[in-house]
Amino acid sequence: MTIQIWQAALFGLFACLASMPGLGGTVLGNYTLGRPLVAGLVVGLIMGDVQTGIYLGAAIQVVYIALVTPGGTVSADVRAISYIGIPLSMVAVHSMGLDPASAAGQAMAVTLGSAVGTIGTVLFYGTATVNLVWQHIGWKAVEKGEFKKLYLVDMVLPWISHILCSFIPTFIITKVGVNMVDLMKAYLPMDGIAMKTLFTVGSLLPAVGIAILLKQVATKPVDLLVFLFGFTLAACMGLNLIAASVVGGFFAVINYRIKVLSMKKPVAVAATGGSDVLDDDDEEEI
Amino acid sequence: MAEKKLSKKALSKSFRNWYYGHLTCFSQEHMQTFGYLCAMLPLIEELYDTKEEQKEALQTYSAFFNTEPQLGTVVVGMTAGLEEAKANGEDLDGEMINGIRAGLMGPIAGIGDSLVVGTLIPILLGIALGLSSGGSPLGAIFYIIVYNIVLTLGMRFLYYKGYELGGKAVELIVGEKSNAIRESIIMLGTIVIGAVAATWISITTPMMLPGDIALQEGVLDAIFPHLLPLAVVMFCYWLMSKKKISPTMVMLILVVVALIGVLLGFFDPQLSY
Repeated sequence: MTIQIWQAALFGLFACLASMPGLGGTVLGNYTLGRPLVAGLVVGLIMGDVQTGIYLGAAIQVVYIALVTPGGTVSADVRAISYIGIPLSMVAVHSMGLDPASAAGQAMAVTLGSAVGTIGTVLFYGTATVNLVWQHIGWKAVEKGEFKKLYLVDMVLPWISHILCSFIPTFIITKVGVNMVDLMKAYLPMDGIAMKTLFTVGSLLPAVGIAILLKQVATKPVDLLVFLFGFTLAACMGLNLIAASVVGGFFAVINYRIKVLSMKKPVAVAATGGSDVLDDDDEEEI
Repeated sequence: MAEKKLSKKALSKSFRNWYYGHLTCFSQEHMQTFGYLCAMLPLIEELYDTKEEQKEALQTYSAFFNTEPQLGTVVVGMTAGLEEAKANGEDLDGEMINGIRAGLMGPIAGIGDSLVVGTLIPILLGIALGLSSGGSPLGAIFYIIVYNIVLTLGMRFLYYKGYELGGKAVELIVGEKSNAIRESIIMLGTIVIGAVAATWISITTPMMLPGDIALQEGVLDAIFPHLLPLAVVMFCYWLMSKKKISPTMVMLILVVVALIGVLLGFFDPQLSY
């Protein structure tokens, strides 16, 4: 499997749109086109193999299920994961003869995608740095009273940053990366320590993504029990994700009702002497 | 003097500029400042007649701004309302508007990160992953449609609600009732994430114990199904939340864990070309 020039160029264009900060905007860009599952569809369409794209995109998606960028610090770059990592892992999976639906095929994609994503943070800082030039032009324009120039600065000039830091790197790496995959195949046997470790890492990495998210939502130890509840629903009771969402939604409604009740009735409870029964109004600090 | 009222056209232009442009010209130094300026420009041009007044009003919004931009739309809407009140001679100045803006950045970033990025997106992606298992594009298409509709309508709602209520809009986000709603939604998100973890992480061991007992089927599965994935998630969580180790470092630690596991024969993907 090879990547044609027009295919690499399209990956480059989508990289410009899907970055954080990207030219597709936050909603359609970063949080839609930048999500590996959606990118799996896009890359699959470009490469003419939607099913493989979705399999690999979905596997990588678990690692980055909540890519929070607090205060503009990133631990992985979405454009690199999605539009460099997925095309390359598609080529790798094909040329190594792995089944994209198998654990091995997905582990390959996860390891490659995460490695590329971590190194890709360079692109994030690069884009943000080049943008400083346009912002400088912007301040000058405000000073001179040429307010309309702000639109140029905010929405047009950043294309130059992205051609430098998104389009060109994506284009070159996806085009050249195909040869790297062949080299890897030639020099690293599957039953060697290196490849065994690589596939094992691929199976472990999704746990990091889940843990990042858990750290975000679990503020009290008891929140871990809520997570364990969801885990048990799927692991022991065999519910699929939609069914688990329905059960979760039901508990969320119950929780909401309890909260509203405890908001309304502090006086009534005190009057009936029901002292400290309802003391779960611990304020949540976010 | 006739009361100044922002036109529908200016408001919707302001909303569009924010909706699209809040992060397009991001830098570490100014983050969303230029997006904010572009969102306020149509309003300021309409409210003030002379270049000097416009420049002075624009100065307020040249202060650093960064928050969770989707939920943060409410702040932009609020300042639109406040700027209108200020242009009508109400007792408000740029400094006060900036104080409100600066005061909201932090809390809204926290709420937005946990509610939108940490809960809504994972729930939708969790469902989408379910729909896409088997390599079907259905899940991806579901996510594209639902996320974009919900967020576009949601941000529009927040902008106009913020404009309408002005300073009182804070209650909408941090009020007692919205706290209860938020907490419940996060609970739903945490449950879904648990299910995603059990469904999508697959870690097994081919190790055999003395006496021909398979470690996986004979021991681990008997204790709790999918025990290894759960253990690895908890290990990563512990490293990040208790030991304050960065996600990238945790990934590197896992590489070491994988290597040791392979050397000990605990992990073996059992593949060949």
